[in-house]
Amino acid sequence: MAFYIATIIVYGAVDSMACLALNAEFGFAGLSNFGFIIFQAVGAYVAAILSMGGWKTSNAGFQQYVLGWHLPFPLPWIGAALAGGLLALPFVFLVGKRLRGDFAAVGLLVSAVLLNQLVTNFVPLFNGAAGISLVPAPFQGFFNPQGLQYQFAYGGVAVVLCVLVYFLLRRMTESPYGRSLRAMRDNDIVADALGKNLRVQRTSMMVLGGMIAGLSGAVLVGFINLWSPGAWGYAETIVLFAAVIVGGAGNHKGAVLGAILVPLGFEEITRFLPPLSNPALVPALEWVAIGLLIILFLWFRPNGILPERRRILSGVIGVIEPVPTGDDSDALINLGKIDQMDFRSLLNLETASTSHDVILLSENLTRAFNGVTVVADVSIEIQRGRLTGIIGPNGAGKSTTLAMLAGTLAPTSGRIMYEGRDITSMPSHERARAGIIRTFQLASEFKRLTVLENLVSAIPRQQGDTFWGAARGRRFWGQEDKVNIERAQEMLEGFGLSQYADSYAGGLSGGQRRLVEIMRALLAEPKVLLLDEPMAGVHPSLAHKIGDQLTRLVDSGMTIAMVEHELAIMDAFCDPVIVLAEGRVLAQGTMAELRANEEVVEAYLVG
Amino acid sequence: MSVFLSSLGFGLITAAVLAIATVGFTLQFAVTNVLNLAYGSVMINSAFVTYYLNIHAHLNAWVALIGGVVTGAIVSYLINRFIFTPFQRRQLPPITIVIVALGVDLCGTFGLQAIVGGSYFSYKQSFGREWHFLGMYLSTLQLTIIAIAVVVLGLIHWLLKYTKLGKAMRATSANMNLARNSGVRTQWVISTTWIISGGLCGLAGTVFAMDTGVFVATSAQLYIVLLLAAMFLGGPGEPYGAMLGALTIGVATEVSAAFINPEYKEVIAFLVLLGMLTFRPYGIFGKEKTL
Amino acid sequence: MSADLSNPGQILRAKSVSAGYDGRAIVHGIDVEATPGKVVSIVGPNGSGKSTLLKAIVGVVPVLGGTVTIGDTDITNFAPERVATMGVGYVPQIDDVFPPLTVKENLEIGGYLLPRREVGPRIEAVLEFFPRLTSMMSRRAGKLSGGERKMLAMGRVLMLRPSVLVLDEPTANLAPLVATQLLEEYIRGFADSGSTVLLVEQRAKAALRVSDWTLVLGGGRVVLSGAPKDLENNPVFVESFLGGGAAKR
Repeated sequence: MAFYIATIIVYGAVDSMACLALNAEFGFAGLSNFGFIIFQAVGAYVAAILSMGGWKTSNAGFQQYVLGWHLPFPLPWIGAALAGGLLALPFVFLVGKRLRGDFAAVGLLVSAVLLNQLVTNFVPLFNGAAGISLVPAPFQGFFNPQGLQYQFAYGGVAVVLCVLVYFLLRRMTESPYGRSLRAMRDNDIVADALGKNLRVQRTSMMVLGGMIAGLSGAVLVGFINLWSPGAWGYAETIVLFAAVIVGGAGNHKGAVLGAILVPLGFEEITRFLPPLSNPALVPALEWVAIGLLIILFLWFRPNGILPERRRILSGVIGVIEPVPTGDDSDALINLGKIDQMDFRSLLNLETASTSHDVILLSENLTRAFNGVTVVADVSIEIQRGRLTGIIGPNGAGKSTTLAMLAGTLAPTSGRIMYEGRDITSMPSHERARAGIIRTFQLASEFKRLTVLENLVSAIPRQQGDTFWGAARGRRFWGQEDKVNIERAQEMLEGFGLSQYADSYAGGLSGGQRRLVEIMRALLAEPKVLLLDEPMAGVHPSLAHKIGDQLTRLVDSGMTIAMVEHELAIMDAFCDPVIVLAEGRVLAQGTMAELRANEEVVEAYLVG
Repeated sequence: MSVFLSSLGFGLITAAVLAIATVGFTLQFAVTNVLNLAYGSVMINSAFVTYYLNIHAHLNAWVALIGGVVTGAIVSYLINRFIFTPFQRRQLPPITIVIVALGVDLCGTFGLQAIVGGSYFSYKQSFGREWHFLGMYLSTLQLTIIAIAVVVLGLIHWLLKYTKLGKAMRATSANMNLARNSGVRTQWVISTTWIISGGLCGLAGTVFAMDTGVFVATSAQLYIVLLLAAMFLGGPGEPYGAMLGALTIGVATEVSAAFINPEYKEVIAFLVLLGMLTFRPYGIFGKEKTL
Repeated sequence: MSADLSNPGQILRAKSVSAGYDGRAIVHGIDVEATPGKVVSIVGPNGSGKSTLLKAIVGVVPVLGGTVTIGDTDITNFAPERVATMGVGYVPQIDDVFPPLTVKENLEIGGYLLPRREVGPRIEAVLEFFPRLTSMMSRRAGKLSGGERKMLAMGRVLMLRPSVLVLDEPTANLAPLVATQLLEEYIRGFADSGSTVLLVEQRAKAALRVSDWTLVLGGGRVVLSGAPKDLENNPVFVESFLGGGAAKR
């Protein structure tokens, strides 16, 4: 019985470590790593072959495997973690590309099956289907691995490792870096446009998850002393996912709970069942039960038993959830305090320039989709310190042009110059860091982040917003984060939305969300702000107020280019104005010049 | 050369079975936009129904085959009606539906195993004489399967291109809202598509089991990889692409097995799938969707 | 324009319609009436709810309040396919054709509700209306140019012999001359031959030219409505759309 408890402890710790890692990848970073099991498997194999001697001389040569360096503990375990991390690298391309979530997941699942097949068939690697047995337990020269004390000590070590993993992952996710991960999970295109380097973030999390998975494999194999392809097949992959879903994706405690309930609980429940006539029935029914568990949980409680927690940044007790009402709430938004906001200091703006030189321009920009040219030969200039309007009917290519300027879309041909440099091949997150910030026409808030989190996530150059910065803990980035939160709160206060600081951004009304987006874009400290139809869907009175503030921003030194299709807005706020039609520039100049242009007036300004 | 030709023969039979399966699979994706990872479990359940009807109930092989087809049709329809459709109404991300499909696959495959046990089953009937032409060696059974595949795929082609239902299916998969605005009862079209594709699934499972000769409840679990490879090669949701993809994968895996270690023949399919997902997830001939 | 392409129109009425996704209304309390032989247009800025209103009428977006009737029949929240059987033809702003289907097949789907023997003659009639499509019958719709696509989209909806035509920004993406022709010849022509036409149009002035009645939407509500003559002289309308005022800067 005591041995049984020791075994439970080890399995529990191993499963928890694995689930914590998978949860970090899936629940926090949004990586659907259906192939996760292979990282645990490679860790187990590597720990085994590092701790064993060469295959020919050990164990009468009845099993083949590579390496066999007979390394002392803890080197095999370190090697296992490294192997898990290294194995993750080639798979980043699958989770990274602009691939549908389910396609990427299936690709990873298939990779796991493929590797299982390869290992099974290529015997010299890891002894094929028979697997590797007689794996030495750590320190087995000094202690008796079969003894109870050893096993409990082993369990203790496993639990300690698990606890360390828990705190490490929590440190990573409850940091500005964690905020960026969750932003990436919620809306990766927008996170990219705000300066987050998605590839680096995904790679880091895959590697970290892989290392922890590898370590968990090592811990397991050191205890059970054997490992074979049967332990990590198609179905085993799904069990860990089921565990994360049941426990709660996006919640570390949920991951542990899921690990205890599903892989551990299920396995152990079967011991207590009365013997059935057909013993093969039990494992089969287990799998059926897991399948049912997945379906039922995803139906009734898709967030798991312990859902993701809300992060309260404002320090205020009691959160107000906005109640969806009619649109009049937009008209009632009180922007009264906004006129007192000092944009220049809040947003680190440089002094307003009087030269109005060209800060951003495109040369012969062209974009075609499947042979249809959407933007053709567009050459435009955005002048510093002005509010430039880009107008044209729907389908004129305005949003596409803006997307190319911001880097969200690559041009088919043409050049883009920013402050004299050619940035045509610069990816969008780098452009964001260089000061080109864009907004999106459709709702683009990070839904599962609070309003404050949305705002703070955009602030650039945060010390805690890198992998290593987060690893160094709150003591490193805490002070700066506090200041950033205060800046965001000041912004919220000015825009009249303080009461929603800790509400989930997804629950706000259309106009409120629009304001959050604008605030977020401003906090990203743009030198050039590209707005894609910011007034669309907004109550007219609010739209006017927004326009006034944009003017104030420009007067404080910001450069803004705004895509719109309503002449009235151009007329009221923008000068100069660029008119696009059918993918080409029809005219550009001051409003006065455009009014004098008959062609423009007839076709586009007056409908 | 003879090795190549004989492996080509094997390739054709593999391709035939795979084509039937992939066309069904891709049709389901076309109208519902889900990767039905439970497809393999429906295949194997249908195979068992046929087996049972044939061997235990002593029904004629063709009648039993029809039984398998009907099983596939009914079960597939039920899965879509009672599981995929309700989940989709909740507008969850596609990854969630895939996980649900995996759950259904587990229930289906291991539920079967719970009922029939883990032992292997085999069709003890003879496979008929062996036919030898063009360097290929194929048994009567295999030729029959290839013939069935050709006929069934021809019927599918006729359905899609020349019938009102087929055009409605293609319209629904291209633009469901517009189809509805044109008066198409898309719910009915989708249900019918699942019945038809489910029938293909059942047929595929049955001939798969017959061709393999010896099978067990989990035999079709890994088949999903070949299916996905064939589908993505031809383009997700494209029935003609599915046929082409199946032919390619089927022949490629068998021919390669003749020249490299046959245990690795599925690796080709895996690599094709990963390659397609990485570089051209819309298929060899497909076009990227506009933003 | 040939009168046999459309059926004599019916009265389309929306009364106090509020509609939107997920229980959240995008449009509120809209009243609009379109009668046979007349063109009613709806104008307003992007995001004002014009498209949403049309979609609510044809059943694509849920109606949260109010009613939509055709003649005496209440069609509020009917499924789109049922709305089609009532003789309502809808052309969306984007995704208005079936790209992988040929031109011929697109038209055939347009005639889905027709008895089989009527499909051929209907296609002939539509081709008379849009002769350019004749040479493209076996081309895939995805490969057509913008103008050709729009023609096909209109052709598809005409297959149904609609008594009510609901058009969402039919001139979007079209060159000005083509747009004008579409509005002034074809769309006005449908109305003149007896159909009921309800359209959303971005080019406000062009819409005024062909309409009998115009509604202006803003923030999901009707801000102004009237006959084009009256609106043209309304300073608010002029200010918003015809850009009369001097720039504020």
